[in-house]
Amino acid sequence: MKPAPFDYLLATSVEEAVAALAADDDAKVIAGGQSLTPLLSLRLARPSVLVDVGRLPLTGITVDGDVLELGALVRHRTLESDALVAAEAPLLAVAAPHIGHPAIRARGTLGGSLAPADPAAELPAVLVALDAVVVVQGPGGRREVRAAELFEGYFTTALAPDELVVAVRVPRATDADRFAFEEWAPRHGDFATAGIALAASVGASGVHCGTGRRARGRRGALGPKKRSSPTPACSAPRAQTAARPQRRRGDRRSRGRCRPGPSSWACSRPVRSRRCSPQRRPRHDRRPRAPQRGRGSSAAAGAAPR
Amino acid sequence: MTTTSPVSATSRCCATPSLTRASSRSTTPAQPQRPPGVVAIVTQDDLDARGAPTRPPARTARVATLEWGVLAQGTVRFVGEPIVAVVAESRSSRDALELVEVVYDELPGVMGAVAALAPDAPLLYPEWGTNEFLHLAARSPGLDDALEHAPHVFTETFENHRIFALPLEGHGAQASFDGAFGRLQLIASSQQPHQLRTVVAEVCGLTEAAVRVVAPDMGGGFGNKQHFLREECLVSLLAMITGRSVRWSEDRTEALTASVHSRPQTHHVTVAHDDEGKVLALDVRVISDVGNPVLYFSGIGPSLVTVGALCGAYDIPEHGFELSCVATTTCPIGAYRGFGQPQAHFTTERVMDRIAQRTGIDPAEVRRRNLLPDAPRPFIAHGGARVDVGPLAPQLDQLLEEAGYSQWRERQAAARAEGRHVGIGLSSLVQGTSPTQWGVAGRFGSWETATVSVLPDGTVTVAVGTKSQGQGHETVFAQVAADALGIDRDQVVVREGDTDQVPYGMGTWGSRSAVMAGGAVLTAAGRVKEKMDRLGKEMHPDADHRAVAEEACWHTHRLVAGEEPGLTETAVYTPGGTIPVPNADGHTNFDETFGSHMTMIVVEVDPATGHVEVLDAVLVSDCGVMINPTLVEGQHVGGFAQGLGNVLHEEVRYSEEGQPLCATLLDYTPPLATDVPPLRIVHRETPSPTAGGFRGVGEATIISTPAAVAGAVEDALAPLGVAVTTTRLQPHHVRALVRATGWAPDPAAFAGFDGGRDSP
Repeated sequence: MKPAPFDYLLATSVEEAVAALAADDDAKVIAGGQSLTPLLSLRLARPSVLVDVGRLPLTGITVDGDVLELGALVRHRTLESDALVAAEAPLLAVAAPHIGHPAIRARGTLGGSLAPADPAAELPAVLVALDAVVVVQGPGGRREVRAAELFEGYFTTALAPDELVVAVRVPRATDADRFAFEEWAPRHGDFATAGIALAASVGASGVHCGTGRRARGRRGALGPKKRSSPTPACSAPRAQTAARPQRRRGDRRSRGRCRPGPSSWACSRPVRSRRCSPQRRPRHDRRPRAPQRGRGSSAAAGAAPR
Repeated sequence: MTTTSPVSATSRCCATPSLTRASSRSTTPAQPQRPPGVVAIVTQDDLDARGAPTRPPARTARVATLEWGVLAQGTVRFVGEPIVAVVAESRSSRDALELVEVVYDELPGVMGAVAALAPDAPLLYPEWGTNEFLHLAARSPGLDDALEHAPHVFTETFENHRIFALPLEGHGAQASFDGAFGRLQLIASSQQPHQLRTVVAEVCGLTEAAVRVVAPDMGGGFGNKQHFLREECLVSLLAMITGRSVRWSEDRTEALTASVHSRPQTHHVTVAHDDEGKVLALDVRVISDVGNPVLYFSGIGPSLVTVGALCGAYDIPEHGFELSCVATTTCPIGAYRGFGQPQAHFTTERVMDRIAQRTGIDPAEVRRRNLLPDAPRPFIAHGGARVDVGPLAPQLDQLLEEAGYSQWRERQAAARAEGRHVGIGLSSLVQGTSPTQWGVAGRFGSWETATVSVLPDGTVTVAVGTKSQGQGHETVFAQVAADALGIDRDQVVVREGDTDQVPYGMGTWGSRSAVMAGGAVLTAAGRVKEKMDRLGKEMHPDADHRAVAEEACWHTHRLVAGEEPGLTETAVYTPGGTIPVPNADGHTNFDETFGSHMTMIVVEVDPATGHVEVLDAVLVSDCGVMINPTLVEGQHVGGFAQGLGNVLHEEVRYSEEGQPLCATLLDYTPPLATDVPPLRIVHRETPSPTAGGFRGVGEATIISTPAAVAGAVEDALAPLGVAVTTTRLQPHHVRALVRATGWAPDPAAFAGFDGGRDSP
């Protein structure tokens, strides 16, 4: 084995998993394994016991009133492709393709992206922007934590060592909601240098925003913001609407407010825009093309586009 | 050979974060009892106690004395240097290694070649009295005079940073020793199985004939596997010590931190030129970081190639160099595809662009005015290189035509008017191929052997001493033999890599295989063909290839007098053009032939993010006669990807104390498939004087791409006044260059923000 020796428990219930975590300070949860496995192989993580929660029944996606509830074991690939997620929580669907590569998304889980609180991860920022609620279960039962309060900083959460993320509750999108997700990474699938998740509600009162920022730089970095607040990216658009402010569902969760913005924001299109910020993309669309050669040459075969 | 299941050896013992160089006082298992599964725990002291000569003899003149063992002893000189070997059943060797306790006294790190030359720098090898491993200088007689009287002289410093060859599959080795016959078998992922055999035989105290090295199919080498690692010798010794079959395979962290790195050099350049843009003199002070120089063929090789390639494709009347190879507390520096030429080419092309900027002459025209003259051939370059390439000026003109140089200049002007940053970079490369390493860094070089056998059923075997790492030798040598014999390619089987089965050869490196082994195969197959034609004439008129083969092998009583049975020929081929030590004229020539390659790359730089996007890349390449154009283009595309990686994506980084900061592919980030745009390739075929007219092609684009990209980035950012003097052009580096100019994004550019909606 490349990892240091460890014991292994395949949990058959949430209670069993939580009990195992409570019984051993050095126990570690494994679900999709996309964050933990490399650390194990490098022997940077040396858990005494791996508590495998991968078979627990936490994969459901259900509508509950004005909330979409997602089980902690929902895969990133599901967020990317599921019709219900696309309809009810489109920000999750547009952010998911930015996570690693398809093989990683096929294994990685929602809970596994939240619990480590990696500032470079996409989903913590998304859940902060959406003002989602994270459901966790410990020995004393379940409790709900607002995403903004779950993430306390770099790799630090409000989770107790013996608590397990079991579900995430996201407010369902309405017709008035607009979302955007952008990030800048040197290569697609890398940890992004900077990124932003944005949720806004456009109504008579203007635009109400929730944002999650994240960054990972060579020097200094920002963790997920504890509280959503207006950022230049969401306040930059000039007022284009004369509509009056109005309250919306998100307001009661203390979404940040920003100045009125354009009335027709759309979801960002992921992946394709990875190499440039949305501000710059129209310029790239006008970029010069390679000159077309009118005559054949010996290069024709070699120059065939791949 | 033994049939016991192999046991694993693990040899790395990483220092703790605060210890980059240290003397190890004691290296002992923490527990007196061996853990279960552990077969042996071995240090250099144990190997010395065997009495076997486990230390390599000095190879190259003019270097400081360097004695070292398979395992570090006394002093550890870089993080990742092997200290102790643990042999165990399965991977429990990794667990057992953790039980070994090494007690270190910390010593100061020696970081940065320039800093390491300072008089008060700590010394990696105190017995040298300096960190300078090699010092070498040469000047043409009129250099000082030219620099003194030239109308324009400028100085500048250019820098190449540290990168890693990153073969997909790392090094690996498995050794077993047959005591009854006294024979050692080593299976190793090596580009030079015969020379690895030489080293292993020396280290193990065996004759070369007693050692069999088998290099199987492998996933890439790129020069990284030209080197003979300590671990390959170590598993051989461990197999002899334990009597077991011992296996070692490098993991990615070991590969990234402790195999072989490449390219860190600083060039202080003094250039003299006239008003017409003609270079009159070039003087280059090369300071080359060679890491801890414990490699079995010395890592000074690339530096020596650098100083020999500084004039490149250009006719520079007076030139000189001063080279310092400097030892530092880092992984050894050695071969990576390009082998010293990328650094020289980067400097030469930056000089051409500087002259264009200083004189106001178009950079393409500056290059044309300085190119080597189109006649005579061979052109005897200063120093003695026999340059045999086709005419260069027409090739440059073809590049400008094919790439649409003038159209791109118009587009660039239009883009600048819009506030965008588009730039064009050029490279004119004359690449030496098929070199000799005699006297440079090893004792191997410019000849190759091939055995061609026609079997009774007419099929053919070819055995050569080169070693493919995935570049298609099975195809090209089969083509060469099939063409010579007039049969189908699928009738030929090519064999490489097993020292018991193929004739002695030099392996694959330096863009040599097509020229050298291709020439040997051509010669041997030609001899077989001549014989078959002779035999055929004695047979019935419609005797075909197969009938002649049967005749020669089975019906030997019918052969005419004087004709030997069988159809096997072994040919040794050397073009014979190299001059590894100065001749009566003081000339040296390290390359049997040369290829010429003209490259143009167009980029757009986003000053806000530092992102460099390649808009167009065109190569006009002359590698002589192409055996297989698809494989030639594969070489070009692969080198282009690695060249882009060199400047835009990759850097091996260390902390100031010498801790490696790139231990996984999370930190060392080569370009992905989606990061490599298409390369437009145009071929010219000027046959070389070598057999077959081949020139060698493996390293062209990896040399030309960094220089062309750097020129393009500088050209793109010229309106901001950015000067590019380094190969470090990752986004954060470009941002730093832009930031230093005081440029800031124009807020008006964001006014049109449409909320992230894509236009259809």
